[in-house]
Amino acid sequence: MTRRIHVLTDVVANQIAAGEVVERPASVVKELVENSLDARASRVEVALMRGGKGGIRVSDDGIGMGREDALLSLDRHATSKISSSSDLSDIRTFGFRGEALPSIAAVSRLNLDTREADQGVGTRVVVNGGLIGTIEDSPRQRGTTVEVRNLFFNAPARAKFLKPVSVEARTVSDALTGLALANPRVSFMLTSGDRRLLDLPAVDDAAARVSQVWGPEQGGALILVSTEDTGLELKGLIQRPDAAKPGLGRRYLFVNGRPFKAQKLVQAAERGYRTTIPQGARPWMFFYLQVAPGVVDVNVHPTKAEVRFSEASHIEDLFESAVRSALADQMSSATLDRELAAPRLLVHESGEQFKVRGADTDAQMALFIADAEVGDAAEGQPVTELAASRPNLWQVLNTYILAETRDGILIVDQHSAHERVLFQRLMEAFEAGGQDGQRLLFPLTIRLTPPELELVEELQGLLDRSGFEVEPFGGDTVIVRAVPNPHPYFNAERAFREMIEELTQGSELVRSAKNQHEKIAMTFACKGSIKAGQQLADAEMQELFDQLFSTDLPHHDVHGRPTIIRLSATELARKFGR
Amino acid sequence: MNFTITRQNLHSGLASVSASIPSKTTLPVLSNILFQAENGSVWMSGTDLDVAVRIKVPADVRQEGSLTAPGKKLQDITKELPDQPVELATMGSQLELKSGRGHFKLNGLPADEFPTLPEVDFDEGWRVTGTDVNRLIHHTSFAVSNEESRPILNGVLWELRDGAMRMVATNGHRLARMGVPAESGDTSSADFIVPPSALQQVQRLFKKDEVLEVARSGNHLGFRAGAAEVYTRLIEGTYPNYDQVIPRDNDKVATVDKKALESAVRRMAVVASDQTHRIRLKFESGRLHLNVLTPDLGEGQDELEVGYEGEEIEIGFNANYLLEVLRYMPTDEVDIAFKAPERAVTIVPSEAENLDYLCLVMPLRLLD
Repeated sequence: MTRRIHVLTDVVANQIAAGEVVERPASVVKELVENSLDARASRVEVALMRGGKGGIRVSDDGIGMGREDALLSLDRHATSKISSSSDLSDIRTFGFRGEALPSIAAVSRLNLDTREADQGVGTRVVVNGGLIGTIEDSPRQRGTTVEVRNLFFNAPARAKFLKPVSVEARTVSDALTGLALANPRVSFMLTSGDRRLLDLPAVDDAAARVSQVWGPEQGGALILVSTEDTGLELKGLIQRPDAAKPGLGRRYLFVNGRPFKAQKLVQAAERGYRTTIPQGARPWMFFYLQVAPGVVDVNVHPTKAEVRFSEASHIEDLFESAVRSALADQMSSATLDRELAAPRLLVHESGEQFKVRGADTDAQMALFIADAEVGDAAEGQPVTELAASRPNLWQVLNTYILAETRDGILIVDQHSAHERVLFQRLMEAFEAGGQDGQRLLFPLTIRLTPPELELVEELQGLLDRSGFEVEPFGGDTVIVRAVPNPHPYFNAERAFREMIEELTQGSELVRSAKNQHEKIAMTFACKGSIKAGQQLADAEMQELFDQLFSTDLPHHDVHGRPTIIRLSATELARKFGR
Repeated sequence: MNFTITRQNLHSGLASVSASIPSKTTLPVLSNILFQAENGSVWMSGTDLDVAVRIKVPADVRQEGSLTAPGKKLQDITKELPDQPVELATMGSQLELKSGRGHFKLNGLPADEFPTLPEVDFDEGWRVTGTDVNRLIHHTSFAVSNEESRPILNGVLWELRDGAMRMVATNGHRLARMGVPAESGDTSSADFIVPPSALQQVQRLFKKDEVLEVARSGNHLGFRAGAAEVYTRLIEGTYPNYDQVIPRDNDKVATVDKKALESAVRRMAVVASDQTHRIRLKFESGRLHLNVLTPDLGEGQDELEVGYEGEEIEIGFNANYLLEVLRYMPTDEVDIAFKAPERAVTIVPSEAENLDYLCLVMPLRLLD
């Protein structure tokens, strides 16, 4: 009887593993660069030939390997990064499965050149389709170079699926960009043939890296996100709402320095933007999550694109609230400044020892609370506080209010500002039961179209809770006995008519609402707020200002437009040539 | 034009007129005062196109004529002049001012650029006392509406009847109405809707003991007494039937010390929402319980002893409306009458049957 079941030879096992890890040049680059970063490289250079289909060379100035390690690294599941299964829950390095290098070697012709700093001579290992060929001395300086040629030469089925050169090169560039964003203090270079696709010298923070990749105007359009929780720290850079446009939104997420994808978290962050951006705008976002070991499970897929969190919904809430509070900040408002300094975001990089406050620390309380990290202090942004607790306010064109701040001026759109105020008030009032209605001495009788009448009947309960006491009055007429009274210039009849009209006919604003409550609150805010062209007394401007800054998102109105535009003293000085 | 006037007469004339000059205007001539010198006196006029004020002051007129000159500038100069005669004369389009060794020339504008004041025949009008008119204005004009969608409510309704007159103002949320007996025998009854800014000028310029002549010409109303005249545009339209909405069946009445209530409401208002200013008044037997609860801000409670025997009832109010009404109540105690939480509440002075004064406040709906 012939045996049907074999133990696979290493070569075949590696080829199978390669199928999981190595899909295309980009995955090769990702694995090799992650190894470089794990080896504490400060400079990583990637060169592609024919988009990586012809050859890929990744060289770094990391710690390198000795001869024995170099050979071991080509053995499946040989890894320097973990030694027992308990280490799996405490992963701080990129690679850990020990699959990458042997898998790549199994489907290519691979040269490994490496040298440790304290070794007199380097090692070169030549591997052909997974079989180790020659081992010899190498003249290499400290660090490691891996050269991969003829990718999938022995796996023609997979080679067939490779895309055109330009596509493969772009995918490599995208993958490397992610790693570069996670590691701003490492310099990255990517060439494809003669073309230099990325040239990113080391910088000291993440926003500077964004500026390097997409230009300083993009870096300047970012604001900081920062929050902490037990065992967890979230920092990030998100686009100012006024800079957010429809189209391609750049979204990058990193956990403990590792790029990952999580559509749920991106959606949570987008929820944080609710009402501050127009429908369809896709703000850029870069999130750097640091979690204590145990909170995150990265052992999900060999390419590690997806990460599993033990408390997923909690982390989603954290993303949403972190974005929300960043958008509450002065820096999130629109600005007239042309050259904006990017914020500074220092990120923990891969391999760095990371401690999160409150995570499994000893129960002994410290006598003195340590100052905030020096790094955090250096992240300070210019303070845009108002110049005085009661700044001078000027109304211009009966539409805008000007206020002085410590470092410039604010221009507030009175209508937009009041919209934000009324929206938040009514939403809060809905939660508390409803908004007061002022009974009218002379009730309003209002004629409506049949669809409007139907809508009023349908929404009667909610209208009532917004302060409009509406009763059918026979035929196509309703009688309004009580109305909200949001400001002295409020024209209840007109506001009611316009609200009902907009709610019946629909609008972008109405469509952006997530439920009926929001629909009513948004249209009420829009139709009931102080209009442009309304002259305001000093005390009224002051009150509007105070009310605006007591809302959660004072810088953004409910249409996704700015309520405030900043103009800094720096920009003024620049304009005047001072 | 050439005349000499005492510094005192010039100063008081300018002061009377300049209050009618708009502070901001797109029509430059409205910043000016019109001088018309004639036969022993000088008329000074100012207007913002809605309301005009005209004052006659004695002067030694050497040459008749007219010119307009910047009102504010003239007032500022006159304020600092020594107390000695001032000579004013036209020099082309300029107004020349001499006082002692002081000498000024101010650029003016020709008199014919100044708006023509309405011509009112005071012989065809009414006569009312300054005391009565001032009282009516004082007690009602605070209640006019500032909101521009119903212009009618931006004015005070003035009803002149044989033997009585009345003023009413409301913004649809609260209302004030006052009446006084008037000299009988005057011409027919009439209703005017007068902008409060005109009534302010009337209050300011006419002394209480003066008899005012009031007359209408087309869409304008004129007031005259002594050397002062006020003209105003009237608001056109029909005033809503206020009488119909004043409840007659408010059968529950609480008699409350005005000062104590005012003070308690003011304390409550501190903790009230700055949007709705909502506070709650609960009338119980012998007591008035006030309370306020504003999410995000806090709460407050207080209690007053009041004369009340009816059943328990709680009503929500905009604290500002209550305070306004109480401020103008002329007696130490007021009677607050009501029927149900969502119905109009009336407030009248206590034990003052001869006083025809009533304020009405619409409640806020309480959502619990």
